[in-house]
Amino acid sequence: MALRDVSVLFRTPWIIITRGLAFVIQLFVFAYLISGLILVPGLNFFQYYAVGSVVATIASISFVIGYDIFEEAEEGVLDYLLTLPISRRQFIIGRALGGALRAIIYIIPMFLVVAFIEGFAQPLSILSALLSLFLLAFGVTGMSITVAVSVKSANRFDVVLALLELAVSRGSTALYPIAFMPLYVSVFAPFSPVSFAADSARASLVGFSLDLPAIAGLVAFVVVFLGLGAAFYFRRLEGGIYS
Amino acid sequence: MITFDNAGKRFGNLDAVKDFSITIKDGEILGLLGPNGAGKTTLMLMMGTVYRPTSGTISVNGYDVVKQPNEVRKLIGIAFQDPRVDGILSASDVLNWHLKMTTLFDKVERRRRVEDVLKSLDLWEARKKRTWLMSGGMKKKVEDAKILVQRPSIAVFDEPTAFLDVPSRLLVWKMIRQLRDEGSTVIVATNMMDEAERLSERVAIVNKGRLVASETPEQLKGTVKGGEVLELTLNDGSEFKADLLREFPEVHDVKQQDNKIMVFLNSGTLLLPKIVDTLSTRGFKIESVRLKEVSLEDVFLTYTGQRLE
Repeated sequence: MALRDVSVLFRTPWIIITRGLAFVIQLFVFAYLISGLILVPGLNFFQYYAVGSVVATIASISFVIGYDIFEEAEEGVLDYLLTLPISRRQFIIGRALGGALRAIIYIIPMFLVVAFIEGFAQPLSILSALLSLFLLAFGVTGMSITVAVSVKSANRFDVVLALLELAVSRGSTALYPIAFMPLYVSVFAPFSPVSFAADSARASLVGFSLDLPAIAGLVAFVVVFLGLGAAFYFRRLEGGIYS
Repeated sequence: MITFDNAGKRFGNLDAVKDFSITIKDGEILGLLGPNGAGKTTLMLMMGTVYRPTSGTISVNGYDVVKQPNEVRKLIGIAFQDPRVDGILSASDVLNWHLKMTTLFDKVERRRRVEDVLKSLDLWEARKKRTWLMSGGMKKKVEDAKILVQRPSIAVFDEPTAFLDVPSRLLVWKMIRQLRDEGSTVIVATNMMDEAERLSERVAIVNKGRLVASETPEQLKGTVKGGEVLELTLNDGSEFKADLLREFPEVHDVKQQDNKIMVFLNSGTLLLPKIVDTLSTRGFKIESVRLKEVSLEDVFLTYTGQRLE
């Protein structure tokens, strides 16, 4: 099941190419220009934004699995998938893993560009940052699945997922430092999983230090939402609520 | 062997299936005949472990669909009424992925089987076409092909020839029979009388979620008393007496309109020579004979009081 979700990505390579190009333009035009306007001692905003934009992108891509699952249920493809000889547990884990792997594969070219911009300290820096991104992707996948199987109306589902995506990405330290946030954002931003991933990735890439509290936050996020997503999905598929 | 024992499925206040009991023997083709909304698809999805029965039990080759769903899924393949395929995939990719998920065949064997089935169904030329670009008939054939290529122990087809033209329908029926000949048990849900009659060894009539009757098509037809109509035109019917033919136990009613005699009976093909003989020995000259046999449509009407739309 995981491979199926991953292969979806490669069936539409033009999406990867256009999104990749959009990322490069955003980085080397928008971020480059803005960083010239923002002069804060001790902060290279271009580098700050580069890491943050990769993290925000992976969060956004990880939400897609929820749309896939919702669409499959609406179009009846889920009925077909459920008749295949795989256990429900494998099915659910496969979907979550597939969603997360897909997001990681999608982001790797952009991530490598950013790693070079940051002048990564050592190869382990890249692995460590990727781990943070993977944890974020896994958790967001679980969150997306939770919403997909909890909300019944298509319109409501779109709105809930879009708001959630906005909240976790924009209300985070991915694109701007907490010191410059208005109070009503800065209160919540440190607890956003996107903040955990962005802070942890920055710490890994610049000088290779592990931001343990951020990684712990990410692990907790994964455990909570993957658990919730799996439980809700399992209940819906095997408990008769789906039918 | 598949056993439904008082199986039921309730959606809110609606009983989609209620107290459904039937045993399907190994290697038979069972036709599930019923109008849209009769509960046929719900029955199949319960058997395929997608829906859980809310009452009763269903077992497939001894495995309970609720307690041992993983074992059941290994035995069953379902071709859905509306094609359930990833539109972005080509026909050949759809079948290859399906085989990958349902069998242990290696790449070479998968490729060989996919090629065989696509050629048989006249889809080979379109094998690389994305399914969302295909016509309704082609998509339907791809859906059927999933099960024809998988060749599961229990093959379930939901309206297998909907959207198909006549040559394609005949082809799919032939391939379903071949599947049975190779040992699969086949269940075909349909609301098409001719499909149920031509394909099934046994027909189960389903209406409003309940099993109404389950026999061979011939046995079912035999249950419609006087369902066949023999129309005889005599050169002169003025001397004809209905009691002359009522002496046959298979004759249920005789009506006369001038020279035209209408005999409502069973086993018309067997009785026809005897009736002709009886009339001839009494001096009647028969100008024409027409026998209208009982159809499953008549059977359905008899059992449910409604026509199959």
